[in-house]
Amino acid sequence: MTTRISTMIEMLQLPFMQRAIIAGVVLGVLLAYLGIFVTLRKMAFFSDGIAHAALAGAAIGLLTSFSPLLSALIFSMFLAALIYWLEKKSSLSSDSIIGILFTSGMALGIILISLRRGYQPELIGYLFGNILAIRRQDLILIVVISLLIMVFIITQKRKLTLLALDREMAYMAGINPDFYQLLLYIMLAAALVLGIRVLGIILVSAILIIPVSTARLFSRSFKALVLWTVLISEGVMLGGLLLSYFLNLPSGAVIVLTGSTVFTLVFVISGLCRQRQKR
Amino acid sequence: MNPILEVKNLSVRFRNFPALDHINFTIEKQEVIAVIGPNGSGKTTLLKAILGLIPYDGEIKIFGKSIQQVLPLLGYVPQHFAFDKTFPLTVEEFVNLTCRRPEQSHFGGALQAAGMAELKDKLIGELSGGQLQRVLIAHAMLHQPKILFLDEATSGIDIKGLADFYSTIQRLNREHGVTVMMVSHEISMVYKFADRIICLNRDLISHGETKTALTKEVLKKLYGDSAHLKAHDHQDQHHD
Repeated sequence: MTTRISTMIEMLQLPFMQRAIIAGVVLGVLLAYLGIFVTLRKMAFFSDGIAHAALAGAAIGLLTSFSPLLSALIFSMFLAALIYWLEKKSSLSSDSIIGILFTSGMALGIILISLRRGYQPELIGYLFGNILAIRRQDLILIVVISLLIMVFIITQKRKLTLLALDREMAYMAGINPDFYQLLLYIMLAAALVLGIRVLGIILVSAILIIPVSTARLFSRSFKALVLWTVLISEGVMLGGLLLSYFLNLPSGAVIVLTGSTVFTLVFVISGLCRQRQKR
Repeated sequence: MNPILEVKNLSVRFRNFPALDHINFTIEKQEVIAVIGPNGSGKTTLLKAILGLIPYDGEIKIFGKSIQQVLPLLGYVPQHFAFDKTFPLTVEEFVNLTCRRPEQSHFGGALQAAGMAELKDKLIGELSGGQLQRVLIAHAMLHQPKILFLDEATSGIDIKGLADFYSTIQRLNREHGVTVMMVSHEISMVYKFADRIICLNRDLISHGETKTALTKEVLKKLYGDSAHLKAHDHQDQHHD
């Protein structure tokens, strides 16, 4: 027991672990909260698509020696705005537009990265998440942008929630649905890219979906849903990070598996409780 | 008297399909207007165009102004509430979200008046069709609109609820001076409660006072040869 505690203290003193934990805590709140709007508006594919296409942005950064996180951020926000514009201007379905841009972005990223010679450790880090890769400047970017998005979400919570619930209701309540939809797309793209460092391109959208889906299994009000989603997300993020350190496994994969285990447990327990209530 | 709603040459097209074709009419203050017509005749499209929810050609003025300028004066109950029914949102939370100003959220009182105070903490997704419609109407009335638009608001309401619903509409109209424009399929109720009627089948078939505009010929034009008016004991008329 004493050994475990001393290992834990040792781990918490490691600068890369401190950075990963701070990033995990901040992103846990941000992605969980955005996940409520994502599931309500059925935007899971949008989230997955943006995260995958971000590879092209990161690759541009890697090739030009510019910050890969910042270039991925700019690229994804542009892509989110492009999806919004194409949804408005073309007769194609949203799924088709996202499908085309997502695969094209990913393909461009692979080609750009393949232009660099030799082994590409960054690519694996971007795909699956790498807590060792979170540098000081990345952490500052993650914290500052996350806080800005959180301030916006908190001050505009009513409008964003109403828009996610019903577009016509939002309009009748005096909200500009187009403007807030565009903002939601851009903020979501930014949040997903920030999460890539910890969770990886392939897995980042899981933290948008799993905590809120778990909380929906038992929440009896919107207030409870928000609270439980954030708590579950934080628990999964921190638990997953610690496990990935101790097991020496990729952080993104361990966080997602921790989340899906929690979801399965809650799903089974809530199902049993419902059955007992029926009897 | 000045009309409070003016529709001039209103046309709506979905791709190349004309959903509404050069519609013209006006609505006076404190009227109950029913919009009737067969499925696909453009009733919902008309309401959505008036509310600015879809693009249109032509001119629509409410109180002499464009829709965006008078939006706070309008209430709307949609045909379908396109919301995920499994989402955990209580009736009270829903109302707090949709109120333009927090001080408007005297919804507890509004629900109590409607005999539905017990619904406050219930989840929206757990309400019956009738309960949901009543909540939506009470909610639409919260900011005391001058015009209330109802799009087949009685879907999901049983026969008893139907009479209550129309009595509520009549009370809102007579006691609170609310102008009501409603899309409806219940011709008998429309005949009884609506002051004026708009008969649509992509273009305007008939328009005017209900008792004079809703003739056998108009019904035939709307619903085909099988449609006819039938006098009932309580002097209602039904479309069969």
